[in-house]
Amino acid sequence: MKIRNHKKALLATALVAVASLAAPGFASAASPNAVPRYADGKIRLDRVPGEKGYWDKPGATSLVEKGVNVAFDANGKLKNIADASKVAPFQPWALALYKFRQQNNFVDDPMKVCIGSGNPRQMMTPGGVRFIQDNNYQRMYMIFGGGNHVWRTIYMDGREAPNADEVTGTFLGLAVGKWEGDTLVAVSTGFNTRFWMSNGGLPHTEGLTLTERFKRVSKDVLDYEVTIDDPRTYTRPWKAGWTLRWVPGDIQEQFCETGRE
Amino acid sequence: MRVLFAALLLAVATVSVAQEGFPLDGTWRSESTAKDGSHRTIVLIMQWDGKSVTGTINPGPNGTDFTGGTLNPDGWKFTLDVKNAKGGPIRFEGTISNLGKYNRVVAGKWTDAAGTIDAKFVHE
Repeated sequence: MKIRNHKKALLATALVAVASLAAPGFASAASPNAVPRYADGKIRLDRVPGEKGYWDKPGATSLVEKGVNVAFDANGKLKNIADASKVAPFQPWALALYKFRQQNNFVDDPMKVCIGSGNPRQMMTPGGVRFIQDNNYQRMYMIFGGGNHVWRTIYMDGREAPNADEVTGTFLGLAVGKWEGDTLVAVSTGFNTRFWMSNGGLPHTEGLTLTERFKRVSKDVLDYEVTIDDPRTYTRPWKAGWTLRWVPGDIQEQFCETGRE
Repeated sequence: MRVLFAALLLAVATVSVAQEGFPLDGTWRSESTAKDGSHRTIVLIMQWDGKSVTGTINPGPNGTDFTGGTLNPDGWKFTLDVKNAKGGPIRFEGTISNLGKYNRVVAGKWTDAAGTIDAKFVHE
């Protein structure tokens, strides 16, 4: 009897061990480069307990349509203004305004007076970003270390995106999100037009819809893709994307101050 | 002194606000003097709907809604050719200047039943 119980205990121990190996959360312990997950299998876009780190080192300096190869400087200024029409599928007025801003050395960039930047711009502004997953309230908070040091909320509770014509536009819009497999998909509408969504001066109107896809493809790499849909400004929806790297430590304190430049 | 400083900062911040979205979106006001010496105030509220510039001239009981305003980004020429509630023609042809500023300007010739004036619309 004792031997039988001992065998049962061994079997149970073995089963638990096998189950642990198969559990999603185990992966991070098994492979240092595996994507960390919660116990329910959902991706952790932020730290695991006891870890310090955040996303930074964006792999792009300005917003440009995927597949287009044009050269920018770190401020989003085109090396060759003749490339302007390649950056995005502009409406004529939007191309003219983009060129004006490019040739005007961005003197009217709202960020120069600490007016908020757009969501894609925050994702390419050095300084860091963290994702705080609030599973109780079904919200995702994004905390940004660069630019205006703002945070965003992505509502994950199944609500619908608002009709842009029925809300007062804001700098960050209202974002609703869901998981598509391991990818967080956030759709944002209800923007004002007081910001530049990219450092290069890409225009937009209140009709802007941003669809952002966040995917942690490994422990240290986050893929970011944004679809820009604003038929008043662009002739068709278009996509841009880049990666961010996981870096150790904490986001540093920083404040936007007018008159620094 | 602090209040004065804060007010000064606010004023600087206000005039520093950058140009936003479609260049004609928003409220515009022209204060001018006609040839007969009379003062003319014209207010335009305009919006880009993705196809043309729509809006209202002098919003209020006698306002005139319009569609079909055009902006040619090649030179930033703005044209308005509409009829008021009584069928009277209103025509404006102007050019945007200070494009990058919030308080940008559209200046040109405004013609309606009262005659033709040099109108200078400032974005509010």
